[in-house]
Amino acid sequence: MASALRPTLLRHTAPAAPTRRAITTTLRSKQPMPSAVAKAAAFHASSRRRLLPPGPQVIHGSVNDPAPVPSPSPTHGSYHWTFERTIAAGLIPLTITPFAAGSLNPATDALLCGLMLVHSHMGFQSILIDYVPNSRYPKSRKGLMWGLNAVTVLVGIGLYEFETNDVGVTEAIKRVWKA
Amino acid sequence: MNAQRVGMRALRQVVARQPNAFFAHNLPRLALANYQTRGAATTKLNQDDAQALLAAQRKQRPVAPHLTAYDYSQTWFGSSIWTRITGSVLTGGLYTFSLAYLAAPLMGWHLESASLAAAVAGLPMAVKGGAKFLVAWPFLYHAFNGTRHLVWDFAIGFQKGDVTKGAWVIWGGSLLSALGIAFLL
Amino acid sequence: MAALRSTPSRLLAAASRSTRAGPSMFVRSMATLGDSTVEANPKGSTDSRMKSFQVYRWNPDRPTDKPSMQTYTLDLNKTGPMVLDALVRIKNELDPTLAFRRSCREGICGSCAMNINGTNTLACLCRIPTDTKQEMKIYPLPHTYVVKDLVPDLTYFYKQYKSIKPYLQRDTPAPDGKEYRQSKAERRKLDGLYECILCACCSTSCPSYWWNAEEYLGPAILLQSYRWIADSRDERREERRAALDNSMSLYRCHTILNCTRTCPKGLNPGLAIAEIKKQMAF
Repeated sequence: MASALRPTLLRHTAPAAPTRRAITTTLRSKQPMPSAVAKAAAFHASSRRRLLPPGPQVIHGSVNDPAPVPSPSPTHGSYHWTFERTIAAGLIPLTITPFAAGSLNPATDALLCGLMLVHSHMGFQSILIDYVPNSRYPKSRKGLMWGLNAVTVLVGIGLYEFETNDVGVTEAIKRVWKA
Repeated sequence: MNAQRVGMRALRQVVARQPNAFFAHNLPRLALANYQTRGAATTKLNQDDAQALLAAQRKQRPVAPHLTAYDYSQTWFGSSIWTRITGSVLTGGLYTFSLAYLAAPLMGWHLESASLAAAVAGLPMAVKGGAKFLVAWPFLYHAFNGTRHLVWDFAIGFQKGDVTKGAWVIWGGSLLSALGIAFLL
Repeated sequence: MAALRSTPSRLLAAASRSTRAGPSMFVRSMATLGDSTVEANPKGSTDSRMKSFQVYRWNPDRPTDKPSMQTYTLDLNKTGPMVLDALVRIKNELDPTLAFRRSCREGICGSCAMNINGTNTLACLCRIPTDTKQEMKIYPLPHTYVVKDLVPDLTYFYKQYKSIKPYLQRDTPAPDGKEYRQSKAERRKLDGLYECILCACCSTSCPSYWWNAEEYLGPAILLQSYRWIADSRDERREERRAALDNSMSLYRCHTILNCTRTCPKGLNPGLAIAEIKKQMAF
């Protein structure tokens, strides 16, 4: 479209001398662009500390080969998702109640602790899945996942100790808050 | 610019229009059309070589700017990433405290609720409030946005306007209520 | 085209268009930057309105050179209203080496998808903001591998599209032996899905897709996937859902909703993904 109508365009832009000169130079000779028309500025495509460098582009197969489809595993897919949401939804009443009732009784407090622990663990897991891709860093991913598992177990023990020896999480927060 | 097309068009104009200023402008192009050739050299490649060349070119390609170029209100201040950040901060706090509590008897620390409350009570008002705010805001932001995510999971509330407005409402609401909780409660 | 019409006629056309069609034309909001519809100088004077366009440049013939931003200045009075008009004019008059994809110039082919002033949109549907003091920034689609200048390589995007089998899959023949019929309600479920032109604006706006493009399908492909799951004529719904039922393909979506905010066709990929998740969960 554009090239077919270029004469009309030229008539329009005729008063703009630099633009016209630009097109004539490209047509007639191999002179470089006038620098007043186009100036290049230094630009960083990405910051020096690059987040998740994607590496060079490698594509297996042609554009007509479909991308690989993973085999179904609902425990990491739909069941995981539903479980995650159920935990999150369960946390809502447990976090609102202490605001209304002051604090929780030991059983619900322990439940809150447990759900928080699972919620936190799943949150960290999902961060690792996102930012430490298995395809590029399989070893770091595995190591970090097991590290997270170990830490979560220790934290669980710590919370158990706190729940059994101290006043409970909600009551403790309340006391510190009112202090 | 296709040399052939330039010639064709110029010819058509010569036929269609009476000579005018426009015709004079096209004269050099008309002349050009007769001898201008394409300078591109071509080489024949077989399928494998072509694929290898493409693969080699792909390895040199830069990645288009993303976090530096995309709308900051949707990346750096996006509600999703801040839900994650606030969640990580809270969880980090919980993990640190719990591990410290586990290690306290060995290290001789006093992390019982009574001694913590006593320590906090000794702090000046401003520091106390500030510290409470730093705990309350991530909690409220995460809670508000988490609830919004749960609503979204029922495929509700996806109108463009609601999404954009909701993000700012949650920023404002969480900051205000965190101030309230930190200094009034 | 609009760029080449004389200004008075363009104004006239715009005025008559708005009186004829009224606001109903704008039910589906198209991506716009700046809402001014006045193209000519309000006073009718011939003052030039020079606006700068910063355009991302990278030349594959000199791969060691870093990508850079190049500034072009155009007179808005002589340029059409859309960013694509400006790009075409830059290529025609200022710098023929600038590379970008374009085809239909009316938002139906999806070729000219690029990042304009921070959001992904189609250059042909994006108005040039009339504020001449602000520079426009034009980048290729974010976090794509750049072939040249504003041309991204979407090969893997298309491979992912192919992987969801974007066609009707049936085992039983049509009851009347002629065609697969749908009720109006069933057909209505495809509204807001079939309009997707696969311009990749949404997928490349998604941070999750930035970090995990190899395994996560991204909003565009998931919307397409839902288009086939929602189709009453398709008989492989279970298989389609099973193909998504893993940690990466679907569930890297964290409802960031950049996709919904950026879609130049006014569609809602975020909602489509939520519908898939809902179907698979309960």
